Amino acid sequence: MIGGLPIGFAEPLVLIGLLTLPALWWLLRMIPPRPRRIDFPPTRLLLEIAPREETPARTPWWLTLMRLALAALIIVAAAGPLWRPPLATSTSRAPIAILIDDAWPAAATWQARMRTADDIITRAEDDRRAVALIPLSRGAQDVSLEPANSARVRLQQIAPQPYAIDRAAALKSISKFLATVHDVDLVWLSDGTDLGHGADFVKALAKTLDKRPITIVAGGIPGPHALAAADNAAGSLSVKVLRADSSGAVTGSVRALDLKGLSLGEAPFAFKAGALETEARFDLPVEIRNDIARLEISREHSAGAVQLLDKRWRRRTVGIVSASTADMSEPLLSSSYYIQRALSPFADIRVAQGESPTDAVAHFLDQKLPILVLADVGTVAADVHDRLAHWVEDGGVLVRFAGPRLAASDDDLVPVKLRRGGRILGGALSWDKPQPLAAFSRDSPFNGMTVPNDVTVTRQVLAEPDAALNDNTWATLADGTPLVTAARRGKGLIVLFHVTGDTRWSNLPLSGAFVEMLKRIVDLAGTTNVAATASANAKTAHEIVPPSRVLDGFGNFIAPPPTARPVPADFSGSATADHPPGFYGPPESFLAVNTLAPSDRLGPLNFAPLANARHEIYRTSEPLDLRGPIFLAALALFLLDAVAVLFLGGGIQRLIPRLSRSTAVILVIISALSLTLPHTRAEDMQIGKVPPAALETRLAYVITGDPEVDEISKAGLAGLTLFLAQRTALEPGDPMGLDIAQDELAFYPLIYWPIAPGAARPSEDALKRIDTYMKDGGTVLFDTRDAVVAPPGPGGETRSPGMMELRKILSSLDIPVLEPVPRDHVLTKTFYLLRDFPGRFDSGQLWVEALPAENDEDAASRRPARGGDGVSSILITSNDLAGAWATRTDGQPMLPIVEGEPRQREMAFRAGVNIVMYTLTGNYKADQVHVPALLERLGQ
Amino acid sequence: MALEPRRNTYQDGPAVGRAVGEGRTLAAAMPRLILEARHVAATVIHGLHGRRRAGPGENFWQYRRFVSGEPASKVDWRRSARDDHLYVREQEWEAAHTVWIWPDRSPSMAFASARVRDTKLYRTLVIALALAEILVQGGERVGIPGLMRPTGSRNVIDRMAQSIVHDRDERPSLPPTFAPSPLAEVVLLSDLWSEIGDVRRTITQLSGSGARGHVVQIVDPAEETFPYWGRIEFVEPEGAGRITAGRAETWRIDYTARVARHRAEIRSETDRLGWSFTIHRTDRPASELLLALHAQIGASTSTSGTRSTVTQSRTLA
Repeated sequence: MIGGLPIGFAEPLVLIGLLTLPALWWLLRMIPPRPRRIDFPPTRLLLEIAPREETPARTPWWLTLMRLALAALIIVAAAGPLWRPPLATSTSRAPIAILIDDAWPAAATWQARMRTADDIITRAEDDRRAVALIPLSRGAQDVSLEPANSARVRLQQIAPQPYAIDRAAALKSISKFLATVHDVDLVWLSDGTDLGHGADFVKALAKTLDKRPITIVAGGIPGPHALAAADNAAGSLSVKVLRADSSGAVTGSVRALDLKGLSLGEAPFAFKAGALETEARFDLPVEIRNDIARLEISREHSAGAVQLLDKRWRRRTVGIVSASTADMSEPLLSSSYYIQRALSPFADIRVAQGESPTDAVAHFLDQKLPILVLADVGTVAADVHDRLAHWVEDGGVLVRFAGPRLAASDDDLVPVKLRRGGRILGGALSWDKPQPLAAFSRDSPFNGMTVPNDVTVTRQVLAEPDAALNDNTWATLADGTPLVTAARRGKGLIVLFHVTGDTRWSNLPLSGAFVEMLKRIVDLAGTTNVAATASANAKTAHEIVPPSRVLDGFGNFIAPPPTARPVPADFSGSATADHPPGFYGPPESFLAVNTLAPSDRLGPLNFAPLANARHEIYRTSEPLDLRGPIFLAALALFLLDAVAVLFLGGGIQRLIPRLSRSTAVILVIISALSLTLPHTRAEDMQIGKVPPAALETRLAYVITGDPEVDEISKAGLAGLTLFLAQRTALEPGDPMGLDIAQDELAFYPLIYWPIAPGAARPSEDALKRIDTYMKDGGTVLFDTRDAVVAPPGPGGETRSPGMMELRKILSSLDIPVLEPVPRDHVLTKTFYLLRDFPGRFDSGQLWVEALPAENDEDAASRRPARGGDGVSSILITSNDLAGAWATRTDGQPMLPIVEGEPRQREMAFRAGVNIVMYTLTGNYKADQVHVPALLERLGQ
Repeated sequence: MALEPRRNTYQDGPAVGRAVGEGRTLAAAMPRLILEARHVAATVIHGLHGRRRAGPGENFWQYRRFVSGEPASKVDWRRSARDDHLYVREQEWEAAHTVWIWPDRSPSMAFASARVRDTKLYRTLVIALALAEILVQGGERVGIPGLMRPTGSRNVIDRMAQSIVHDRDERPSLPPTFAPSPLAEVVLLSDLWSEIGDVRRTITQLSGSGARGHVVQIVDPAEETFPYWGRIEFVEPEGAGRITAGRAETWRIDYTARVARHRAEIRSETDRLGWSFTIHRTDRPASELLLALHAQIGASTSTSGTRSTVTQSRTLA
């Protein structure tokens, strides 16, 4: 580290060489450059000129400067400069002791710490120095020196602890170690965080070290952040974000996760410069807030950055007390049942059972519940009444429902003065109609709720009209009488529903508005006092709960380690080694133990007492060897110098004529290449390789090798092409002859394959290609051209020599079942309506793939050579179609037809058109047969 | 014009070997030089014919009145019979002179600075050949001192070229001492960078017999302008020494002054002897010098009284 720059040198002594630069400068100034030699005939005259100025031409100052820079660069490069050099320890041979802060504040940047430690150990290994690792979390431990490589293995086993450690516990071991090993190089990989006793530890360490030097590594990496004191207050959940170093403004976000680890929300936080704590606030609906089980700082993986929430942070607990006897006998009609159902989505409910209302209230007051609901409770005993009043003054929320008892009693725990008795609307003895709910007061928490129009009230308790009544009214009926009134008492609140909690007086409890109203009231209730609530869980006070999932140092849930011990069910402190942070107890009612207690704060560790300390920062990246770039720069300078010398020496002029000629040649070549190369490449890619068949639909025939057959095939397909162009919308290109062993077949919809007697059997590869072609949707039309020579009799056609030949060819192919074209085959309908497919002969059949039987779908799927679109992949005829199609250039037919000229020739052409159309359109034509029926149906 | 090497002469020493090498280079360049010389000569001949004065010759020049005292045999009686006067028939003067041309072929002549195409040697040879051609066509006889005897043959260029190419001797800057006839003319083509004493001695010796002469200094532009700067070691090609200039640009003024002085000394010598002194730079066309020389040779033979005319080719241009 030099001058604040992260530059170090491997061999700093070499830099002394820089001192020679002035001498070099003097030399460079004094030694003139080598003279240019010039043959100059009038030198005799020069000899006679008295040299009046003998100081030689000096090297120009900038050239000198350049050379000095060159020399300086080489010296600097030879010194082995490193950008961000590795952590330097003293170069003595003493063993190294590494103190490692391995508490949770180190976890977020654990990699950097391990890398630094590993660097130190590596160098110790190079220098053959022993290493002692002292993780400060271990407390009293046996510190001993070990070889560097075993120290490295041990280093890998150190993991950050999820709880705050007491560094001082390790002091004794350190002093013991120092007593045995006197000369030791101490390095403290510190997390720089003071969790309470940091200052004491530093002081004690200074005393222990007794003026020994120590290297303190801290900073250079982001400091730790932590979460503490999550608070599920009314309206939002807030959590304190803490940090150890107050420098700089930092922003980040806190994520809220539920038990399954799903993200529920994210809240930003921002530290002002100088602030050690800030707050993140989740403004989420209470239902969602209640699902939050874990808060964590995004992208900070440490146990401290995780805050676990259990039930204590969840719903507010509501105690329901009812005085009605009906509650016991008809629980599903009782008011407490309605209230319970309405509250259950967002509150924890405790219902008093088997107790008198007074006892129940006293009991709930003991539990310090934030909300009490008294459903038609008239009076409570005086002492409990006083406590209740006190509780309300302290912030309790008391929700009361009216009822016969309340109407009959005289009670001051009501928001407004009530008339004795009550009011019955719409009853047999009343002229009034049941009153609907009319409005919510604008000042009330109900503000903004939609007023339900289906709520009617038949009975209510009436308030004495006075000046304060309007202010205390939250909801009114249509006639202006209050339905809900409320009044603040001290920090607390009393809310009175002027109807019962059940449906006897009104149908309000059946309305959705009832739930919403209760929810808003519950939201007003003060924060649940965690500790108080926990301690109020009297029945669980003496239970202990075992750990179920705990956090490791990085804030990940792990199975509890064997050292983790159960905690009391009312445990509320911060985590320790025995009680690592995590969830304890059964899943349905687990207890969260957090790394940081709500009152914990982080602070920067003050290293001042360690007077002999050398401060270093963590290295976050590999050191960069600057030798290469500097040598390159020196080389560039050297070349520049060479050019300058050449220029100054005039050599450049001598070079230029030659240079210009050769460079011109080179330039011309390069430009020519650059001009020609892209062109050739472009041609290759665009036009050169595209086969013509890909650009135009063409008929194709297989070149058999028999010139006569091939000529007829070509002429025949040319004739058919012409016929197609004349009669149909299809205008194919010139037919192509194919060498099936080599040419790409994929472009042709139909390949005509005349079987030439005695032709060589195609190779296996060629047959494989044909097979692929057929399976990929192509159609091959085999023509044995020997219908006339077929033996007579039924089936004789299939025993003709051509057919035998064809059989040999196809024997290795996967040929589906064939049949003669049935009368209803689409081939007979694709363009012309045909009965048979004659060529030069008309005695042969056209064989196609057998159509699947009507009701046999499986057979269809089993066809090995499925024609695309249902097109038969193979057509076999013996009628010599090409012979019939073949025309000479003058338009006259090449070959005679057996009989029926010209009709049969016309029919042969028509057969060809149908075949081509069949291969091109597939089953489209088969569907076309239904068009009249479809049109007819559409017409209706 | 292939050189026939006599191998035993190669063993005479490096000087001869070098001379042979140079001879080869020269032989290679000679066809071009000859062609150029003919070309230059043709352009000059085109405009100049004869001596344009009466004198011994075959062609008729003019009739003039008979002056009493002249031998009677000179009277052209056929002409005189036409009228009452006596006429004398004069022929054009066609006296065949001997012109000695000395092309300096010393190593120092093989110099050409960066922007000049021809070396001084080539320019010298072109001038010498072209001049010989013109003179021979004009009826003179042309020779090279110590190398070729005067000849009036029509293929004088070829003969001169052959004799130059086949010359195996040392090549001095200045011509060997010889005695031209009193009516002969001497044309000295050289860069004249020799010692002024040598130059002076040579001219004096050549003019001793009464021959007239023309001294032409052929220089490279760089030798006049000295366009050098920086640290330079100057080497005399003929081995007269070397000198290193620390900063050549500071020498320029001294050098140009020194060159001017050198030329002034030569000029004073030529003026004293009635010779002409011309300076030719190789970046100028060769025909320019040739025209000037031709005019001077003509003038010097016609006006014996004003021989000391000095024309610089540059002023002509």
